[in-house]
Amino acid sequence: MLSFAGLAAEHAAHAAVAHEAAGHGAEHASEGLPTAAPVLFHVGPLPVTNSMVLTWVVALVLVAAVKIGVGQVQLIPKGAQNFWEWLVEGLYEFVEGIIGTELVKKTFWFFSSVFILIVSTNWFGLLPGVGTIGRGIPVEPGSHKLSHVTEPIFRGANADFNMTFAIALVFFACWLIWALQFNGLVGFLKHIFAPKGGTTGIMFVLMAVVFFAVGLLEIVSILFRPVSLSFRLYGNIFAGENMLEAMTHLGGGAFGWLTALPFYFMELMVGVVQALVFMLLTAVFTLLICSHDEEHGAEGHGHGHGAGGHH
Amino acid sequence: MMLAEISGNIHVAAAAFASALAVGWIGKSASEAVGRNPGAATKILVQAILSTAFAEGIVFFALFLWNGK
Repeated sequence: MLSFAGLAAEHAAHAAVAHEAAGHGAEHASEGLPTAAPVLFHVGPLPVTNSMVLTWVVALVLVAAVKIGVGQVQLIPKGAQNFWEWLVEGLYEFVEGIIGTELVKKTFWFFSSVFILIVSTNWFGLLPGVGTIGRGIPVEPGSHKLSHVTEPIFRGANADFNMTFAIALVFFACWLIWALQFNGLVGFLKHIFAPKGGTTGIMFVLMAVVFFAVGLLEIVSILFRPVSLSFRLYGNIFAGENMLEAMTHLGGGAFGWLTALPFYFMELMVGVVQALVFMLLTAVFTLLICSHDEEHGAEGHGHGHGAGGHH
Repeated sequence: MMLAEISGNIHVAAAAFASALAVGWIGKSASEAVGRNPGAATKILVQAILSTAFAEGIVFFALFLWNGK
């Protein structure tokens, strides 16, 4: 939502950001990262931001790495093929442990892609040159020395809210399709609204009312999932980039690298953790709606399929 | 005499404070749980990461979803 406004009015964006920042009363506000990714150029009606450029570069690198590494699949893996097999098999077993043997076969493609894409875009965003090469404000008119880069060629992909919201929306669509495929329309509605547990008589009527209300609440929480998923990823990565920038400024010209260094390690960790969180949350959301343990009733939501995987 | 001035939004401060506490609490409980039962480490990790994500989600709602004055 923030970025849509930025995309629509590209040239107003800088002024708007500066204005907004000034409102917060920070002196170094013009040095902070703008909340919306700057638009570099237009392809037809489509604005291309620097975050999109980074996403494409990462996607190309990933495709190339897989093609070169596993172009000819060997029975006995070596080198890069070994790495990709380790990664994919490790992820498969991890996701299988959470959502069960049956569900993982159908949905693994999504969770592995999301994890690998998010972790690579996060780590690519930490490379030198991202956010520092590009057009900016010269120290004095006509000078080639820039005081501040306002339009870098690359920007952390997940520091663009459009990117994270797009991933979250894709998941939401997949979630809906999987939910309908596994439960059918009636089963899907039953899953949300129908009372659980074997009560009878007057208690059943009471429980039905309670569970209907719970179902309404659940719908609100389901609708908020894409919002919280995307804001979590965007917030973490955007805040991380901003912090790195602030720490570099803190150290000044000579020691900027030193003050920022510990935080680079932290951002490496945050990059993996956030990718893991995104994958885990989407996996658990899928498990919650697709669990087939309704007949066992009291078994409950949380561990139904995890336990089912073992027998 | 005014020694210091605090600017910003109180609701963001409250959310950040509470979610930091919550994340710390979850981490403490998860470490204790793994210490008691190392065999359940993966299951505990999943629960802990999920709860951490929900707890820290609050602060993002406070930061981004409310842009009033």
